[in-house]
Amino acid sequence: MALTTVDHSALKVNQTGIVATVLVAFFGSYFYQPLLVLIPLLAVVLLLGTFAPQLALFKQIYFRVLKPAGIVKPRPVQDRPEPHNFAQGLGGVFLAIASVFLLPLPVVGLALSLLVAVLAFVNLAFGYCLGCQIYYQLGKVGLIRA
Amino acid sequence: MSVQLWALAVASAVVLAAAGLEIFRSSRARRLAAGATSAPASEPYILYFTGDGCTVCRTHQEPALARLDGVRVDKVDAIAERELADRFHVYTLPTTVVMSAEGRALHVNYGYAPSNKLDRQLAEARIGSAMERTATA
Repeated sequence: MALTTVDHSALKVNQTGIVATVLVAFFGSYFYQPLLVLIPLLAVVLLLGTFAPQLALFKQIYFRVLKPAGIVKPRPVQDRPEPHNFAQGLGGVFLAIASVFLLPLPVVGLALSLLVAVLAFVNLAFGYCLGCQIYYQLGKVGLIRA
Repeated sequence: MSVQLWALAVASAVVLAAAGLEIFRSSRARRLAAGATSAPASEPYILYFTGDGCTVCRTHQEPALARLDGVRVDKVDAIAERELADRFHVYTLPTTVVMSAEGRALHVNYGYAPSNKLDRQLAEARIGSAMERTATA
């Protein structure tokens, strides 16, 4: 599959958005429980952004606000967008599952959300993308065209 | 204990378990891949397993490999050359294998390997190869 140019700053802003939203929901819900609604909302944002990039909220904030204002500098890299989209979708699926558990079993729901935030942080800070590795493994066994 | 603290404990336990599994998996793969063979060369060289979807390969590993002066780097597409990738138990990308001049795997690095680490491994490989040549001479 051909490489294209992927702006890694958009990915970093996306990961920052995920970490920040989960942390606000996690710590904020201790004082004000309705903040837990941020978790299903984030799941919707990630899943929508996976299938329709123009609806990816954090990336749109980057492309429409942060980049034009010069707050975040672009970092174009020859890359494939599919593994990153796959990772984002995976995060969205895990947050959707977490949302289902939030009311009956809040410990499970919050723990799952925290794990998504930890993985987003690892990707943001160290460049290790677990979703991309899963994408590679699925490609290796022929389940997707990696 | 509050729900948040329990959730934090559960998430921490999962992260620790995953880290432990990763350490076990990489050490097992390293043990299995050690001694695997490929083509011999005049000098120690590096087998570099990569793929189209590997971002860290382009952003980190390739600049690190470019910093190694005069070292032969054989780039291998891990998806296209599955047989070779399986021989070195490549389960993650990038993977770099420092090969002796005789074509034996000496060091296997799963994940990003910085240039100073590769340099050190290559130096060990050169000493090993020189000793082997002396022994056979």
